Amino acid sequence: MLRLGGHEFGDDEALMMAIVNRTPDSFFDKGATWAEDAAFERVRLVASQGAEIVDIGGIKAAPGAEIDVAEEKARVVDFVARVREEFPALVISVDTWRAEVGDAVCAAGADVINDAWGGADPELVDVAAEHGAAIVCTHTGGVTPRTRPYRIEYDDVVRDAIDSTLGYAQRALDAGVAKDSIVIDPAHDFGKNTFHSLEITRRLGEMVATGWPVLVSLSNKDFVGETLDVPVGERLLGTLAATSVCALAGARIYRVHQVPETRQTVDMVWTIAGRRRPARAIRGIQ
Amino acid sequence: MVPGCLALLPEYASLEDPVEELRAACLAAVAWLGEDVRVVASAQGTRVAASLLAEVGTAPVTSGEAAYLIVANGSACRSEKAPGHLDPRAAGYDEVLGASLTAPDPDALAGLDLQTAEELWADVAPVVEASELLRGATTVAVDYDDDPYGVRYWVARWDGAASRSLSPAP
Repeated sequence: MLRLGGHEFGDDEALMMAIVNRTPDSFFDKGATWAEDAAFERVRLVASQGAEIVDIGGIKAAPGAEIDVAEEKARVVDFVARVREEFPALVISVDTWRAEVGDAVCAAGADVINDAWGGADPELVDVAAEHGAAIVCTHTGGVTPRTRPYRIEYDDVVRDAIDSTLGYAQRALDAGVAKDSIVIDPAHDFGKNTFHSLEITRRLGEMVATGWPVLVSLSNKDFVGETLDVPVGERLLGTLAATSVCALAGARIYRVHQVPETRQTVDMVWTIAGRRRPARAIRGIQ
Repeated sequence: MVPGCLALLPEYASLEDPVEELRAACLAAVAWLGEDVRVVASAQGTRVAASLLAEVGTAPVTSGEAAYLIVANGSACRSEKAPGHLDPRAAGYDEVLGASLTAPDPDALAGLDLQTAEELWADVAPVVEASELLRGATTVAVDYDDDPYGVRYWVARWDGAASRSLSPAP
């Protein structure tokens, strides 16, 4: 069982985590949901598309203007409360590395703290434990939040990702986070060049084999763009191809911009893998 | 009698059951048979029967006094999208078969044209084999009579004359 705050999911379920940016400058939507009402419309849309989780972020991952705690909270806390009120069945995740922000959003109703920066703030696990929230433990190779990878190399990037995320998971357990509320994420492109992200994708089964639920965040990222030489906006097919590989390996949560496309891809692969039944099959067996 | 529809088998289950009504009718009829049930069916039909019997908590027997479960169906050539495509003879063949089953008319069932049945992809050999069981029987219910996917299905129950049984196959 996977427990995300107040929501439970079976081990055979693949979950869509829809990205909702409360930022003016994120790479894919370029501020399209910066206004609160636009962000809320985005939540409505992805909920209607069947996303189980929304991942609300107040700071873009790439370097840029400094966003302090007060500003980050202003962007996400009240918004979380509003989403919580209108969508009680939706899992709310907040993309933050800061314990103070995590504390505030959990108090406002968030179920998951998605720490994309690999435990940069050591008190984040305590916040998750206090609120009974789930936590996503990512691998970043130890880089500082909001920095780009530069000449980072690994003896074995997958080994490093496993060791790092499992170490983080252990810290979360030690802090009191429930075992069924911890998710690991190799974090494609975070602290990784394209070759690293490709290898992580190719060998994702090794992370799944640890037994921890694996989240993948592949959506429209640079490793897709560099692999196919396509700009942001033309990366859906590459994203879905990478999604297929991760789904076959058994990734459980997919952090995405395009929910229906990803859902169909994962459902198809999940069914090929024998983890899901066809929707409605009668041809040849009537 | 139930049809040998493979979609009734658990290994062919979908998220949404494409034969929900048929399955409900089959299970109700099979449950009605009681605990001791002998099966008259092809090899595939035997699997369908065993699966339905298991669903209602019993298993086929091969000897002793028992009720009979026949696994058979009409043609599979009833429309252009039917497994065997449209054969203009299918409707008439199924009409006669349906009337003979509903009556029941054991002589008509015993005399079914197996060559035509093969051409129409109809699985009626078990009906021919079991036809004598229906002599003197009364039709209790026709629980299902439809062709949702180009194959004609019936789920039917008969109350037969007491202690009638089939001879072992030669």
